[in-house]
Amino acid sequence: MVSRVTRLAERGAGRLPGIVVALALVFLYTPVLIIAYLSLSPAGQPTIPIDGFSLRWYTAVLTDTRFIRALLTSLGIGVVTAICGTALGLAGAYVIVRSHLSQIARRSIAVIIALPLFVPTVVVAFGIGRASALVGLGYGYLPVILGHLFWVLPFTTFLIAARYAELDDRLSAAAHDLGADDRTVFRTITIPLLWPALTASVLFAFALSFNEFLITFFLAGSSVTTVPLEIFGKVRIGATAFLNAASVLVIVVSAVAAGVASTLRRPV
Amino acid sequence: MSVANAPGRLRDWLVAGSPLLLALALGVFPLLTLFVESIGPGLGSENYAAVLSPLYRGALLYSIGVGVGVTAVCLAVAYPITYWIAHRCPDRYRLVALVSVTLPLWLNYVVLNYAWVWILARGGVVNRILVGTGLLDSSLDLLYNNISMTIGFVYIYLPYVVLTMYVSMERLDYQLIEAARDLGASDIRVFFDIVLPRTLPGAVAATLIVYARIAGAFATPEILGSPGNVMIARLVVQAFRQYTNYGFAAALSFVFLLLVLGTLGLGALSPRVRRELRQW
Repeated sequence: MVSRVTRLAERGAGRLPGIVVALALVFLYTPVLIIAYLSLSPAGQPTIPIDGFSLRWYTAVLTDTRFIRALLTSLGIGVVTAICGTALGLAGAYVIVRSHLSQIARRSIAVIIALPLFVPTVVVAFGIGRASALVGLGYGYLPVILGHLFWVLPFTTFLIAARYAELDDRLSAAAHDLGADDRTVFRTITIPLLWPALTASVLFAFALSFNEFLITFFLAGSSVTTVPLEIFGKVRIGATAFLNAASVLVIVVSAVAAGVASTLRRPV
Repeated sequence: MSVANAPGRLRDWLVAGSPLLLALALGVFPLLTLFVESIGPGLGSENYAAVLSPLYRGALLYSIGVGVGVTAVCLAVAYPITYWIAHRCPDRYRLVALVSVTLPLWLNYVVLNYAWVWILARGGVVNRILVGTGLLDSSLDLLYNNISMTIGFVYIYLPYVVLTMYVSMERLDYQLIEAARDLGASDIRVFFDIVLPRTLPGAVAATLIVYARIAGAFATPEILGSPGNVMIARLVVQAFRQYTNYGFAAALSFVFLLLVLGTLGLGALSPRVRRELRQW
């Protein structure tokens, strides 16, 4: 009897991880589904169950000039950050993985690039805001884009570096033996082999920038508004149907980027 | 190719230049700026004295406590998840499972936290279910307290922790677990003697990535936390927005930064963690 009880208990513990995964999926997706459901309500303060289906709040969001301007700003900053951030990440990855620099130099460079990961964002954001004012750069698009680049750099660098480290050295050595110079090797061997990682990096950097809130909050000033700033401002006033529809649109933009990325590569 | 390659090294420094310049100009230079502001005007420590007054000490400790607590919750939840995906999940579903659990990483955390307002509010989903099924007579106050804030944090940072820990968990040799089981070890023994030590690098990496960001978070406590519990980020934002007291906010940021790095360092003192870190 006792042994049966312990056996049952052990089997229970053995099932625990599976149960946690199931609960985690419910935990992660229920809020998104509820917002999507509520966004279809015609009421200004929707209740569950919603009384009828309507797309009127989506129309309201998409005809709201403030929101559209914020959306275009976010998309623009996201694209610039994604492309420049990936180029810088490629340079960083090359230096960390393949360069002729000493081990210590490469390690130090990696730590400096990783800085935004272990320094609290609010401290860096505040510091960048003050430094930007100090050097006369002020607030606006340029500081925001620089701040975003700084923020995405560790992600793009380490994402590309992981793939770079897996590349077979012998391929470029063979190309060298066949008379290719460094530039040709880089263009015809390295870049094509890194392509999946580069594309993934562009998409992830775009998502990071598109969703970034705190750095933008400190650097935007009064003239620039991005979607996360706009939504945060409205959340503080109160949850409304307008926000639900806007949230769903924001989620769709980043989910598209994530969907494209997941067809490209293994996520790890 | 490694010994005397002066032109190659010069070119490599040039390549390193652009990302390094960005990281130095936006990472190191602003921190120096803050430090200079924190001891001004005129060399002095008044700002630091003000930061260490009981009023702000509370906010500092609370922020650090939230950082430690939420990171611990994330790790505790991520362990069974990554274990299941790496070792229990049928091969052909593994990728789908991993992508599903980490997808929210791509989404906007302001929006994700906002979604919880609808769930936890007095007339929200959870209260309607609890009251509707007769489990409760009246609605509970679930919103704007430490619980709702923790839920909001875990919701945002769990995917990061899962993704970081997964790599270690995948490397863990399942045969070790089977061997231990055959020798009669209980689930708890297996966890503490095999799973935990072998996945520590992943847990350390995950902590490095999320801890500082949780302790210094601004949006989640504003949206889901209690208005009475002040975290550091709100104080810094207030000082910044009101264009006053930059010196004080800078000192506050600096003390907070030291506390965050200090607690991370404290974790690194544990011999087990140190052994893992040395391998990096």
